[in-house]
Amino acid sequence: MTGRSEALLRARRNIRNRRYVKKTVLTVAIFTFALLYFFPILYMFLTGLKTEIQAVHPRIFFKPSLETYDKILTDASMYSYLLNSVFQIVVSTLVSLLLGVPAAFAIQFGKFKKPTTNSSLRKWFITTILLPPVAIVVPMYLFFNSMGLMNKVWGLTILYVGFHIPIVIWMIHSFMTDIPRSLIEASEIDGCSRVQQILYVVLPLIRMGVFSSGMLVAVFVWNEFLLSFTLTTNSTATLAVFMSRFREQQGQFTAQLSASATICTLPALALGWSTQKALVKGLTMGAVKG
Amino acid sequence: MLLPEAPKELKPRARRRYTDKYFVIPAIIWVAVTTQIPFLVTIVLSLLRWNLVRPDQGATFNWFNNYAYFFWDNARSSPEFWNIVLQTLLMTAYSLAACSVFGFLVALMLDHRIPLINVARTLVLGPFFVMSTTTGVIWKVTILNMTFGWYARIATALGLPIREFISESPVMLNAFLFTWQWMPFFVLIILGGLQSVSSEVLESAELDGCNWFNLTFRIKLPMIVNHIGVAIMLGLIFLSKEYGLILVTTQGGPGKSSYTLAYYIRDQLFSSKQVGRAATISVIMVAVMLVLINFLYRKIQSRIELYD
Repeated sequence: MTGRSEALLRARRNIRNRRYVKKTVLTVAIFTFALLYFFPILYMFLTGLKTEIQAVHPRIFFKPSLETYDKILTDASMYSYLLNSVFQIVVSTLVSLLLGVPAAFAIQFGKFKKPTTNSSLRKWFITTILLPPVAIVVPMYLFFNSMGLMNKVWGLTILYVGFHIPIVIWMIHSFMTDIPRSLIEASEIDGCSRVQQILYVVLPLIRMGVFSSGMLVAVFVWNEFLLSFTLTTNSTATLAVFMSRFREQQGQFTAQLSASATICTLPALALGWSTQKALVKGLTMGAVKG
Repeated sequence: MLLPEAPKELKPRARRRYTDKYFVIPAIIWVAVTTQIPFLVTIVLSLLRWNLVRPDQGATFNWFNNYAYFFWDNARSSPEFWNIVLQTLLMTAYSLAACSVFGFLVALMLDHRIPLINVARTLVLGPFFVMSTTTGVIWKVTILNMTFGWYARIATALGLPIREFISESPVMLNAFLFTWQWMPFFVLIILGGLQSVSSEVLESAELDGCNWFNLTFRIKLPMIVNHIGVAIMLGLIFLSKEYGLILVTTQGGPGKSSYTLAYYIRDQLFSSKQVGRAATISVIMVAVMLVLINFLYRKIQSRIELYD
């Protein structure tokens, strides 16, 4: 009797141990992979903290200094690019949301003369996402050139807003489908105007959705290159264009390059990571239902 | 005085017109003016013969001669255009295939419940938020550099020959870097799909003695194929505007061996100053993309209907 129960206990312990070992191996494997995958970015952060002489050799352990950051932040050349980028993301994101949220609301809850209008509007906006910027580069270049918009920061903003409204609508709409229709109808009976419905009923419910789609737009705008490279001059270009200037410098100024790259990367990383969860929800829901 | 007047109460209903359209119209106008109308202009431009270097010639209507130029005339002397089409298709196919396969596998891996899994997910998601020009510069300088990079160092330590990928296999290199940057996006969407697979299905499959392979490829995979399809569709759009990465890593070279259509458009516009021809390539590119996307979209829709 005791022998049997002991054997049983041992078997159970074995199973538990095996599970434990399996989990440990899995954890180590996953983290090894994740760290290796992230390594180029990690090493970029590290190299930014090196001096130019240290940066020549690929080493992970070294004595960090802020010398390089000091150098690039006192150098004025990066500033205008940084300012332009900040302007682009703030204005484009806000305007896209300002136009996108009411539009998404009307598409989901609005009443139109034809009841099919809602779904055809939604389809129209989603198909616009599919039009790549390449499709408009040529006429926009001619237009910007002849109107002198290349020298205006907001010229590019107009295009960014146009390209990101559909994305905002796509994501916000998928969040809005969670809101029960009865809630909107009830608020209508209570005498809410459409604007009030958006401000006081819908927005509080989809705060996270609005926030995450705004962040997604901000990240896209921050990283956008093709339009910024084609439609700007030195004084209006964004950071992505600034980074492309480093392409000729093979192996020189690695530390400076890494420090600049870190400054370009950190805001987008921070924005992206902070909204990761809502991003997954918005993208997958928008994707599968859209 | 305190009683509400009768007509006033009726008024809102009588006035009730379809005012909701005013919430959408600004967005529609803005989007149409910045995307669709310019695209129509691109189509018109593609029918013109317009060389900016020769303003005296002006822009003349040219019918479909620009298309003929790329498809036949130019192909006769040098297959430049068709080579670039091939390179674009190859790069797109390599990248999207790698993104889908590895994205699925990595998503499976990250779908486990282990401590700090969110940290691992966050790390893998990282490259998605890096701008493409930074990706190119960082990889080129700190990793692929033949004397100072990590790759050279590891290859020397292992006694392997050091190869210069930038000139030897530029298309593969760009596809690789694109995959590094966009696979996280695939992981994000596929992981969302995996987590939406109901645990009931998985549990009953396990009870029936389903092994890992069958569980993964016969049950989970079919259930998330649509997620992969959507990721591919969006990946296609993002890849089509990928210009910065190629500019920074290989500059389209050596020669024109890593040109893509997007790169070719700029080349025609800025180096050759041929407005009509640049527009022609845009139109061709968009047409090809719309055909591909339409195909994918139909597949996805038919699967959705199948399961509903």
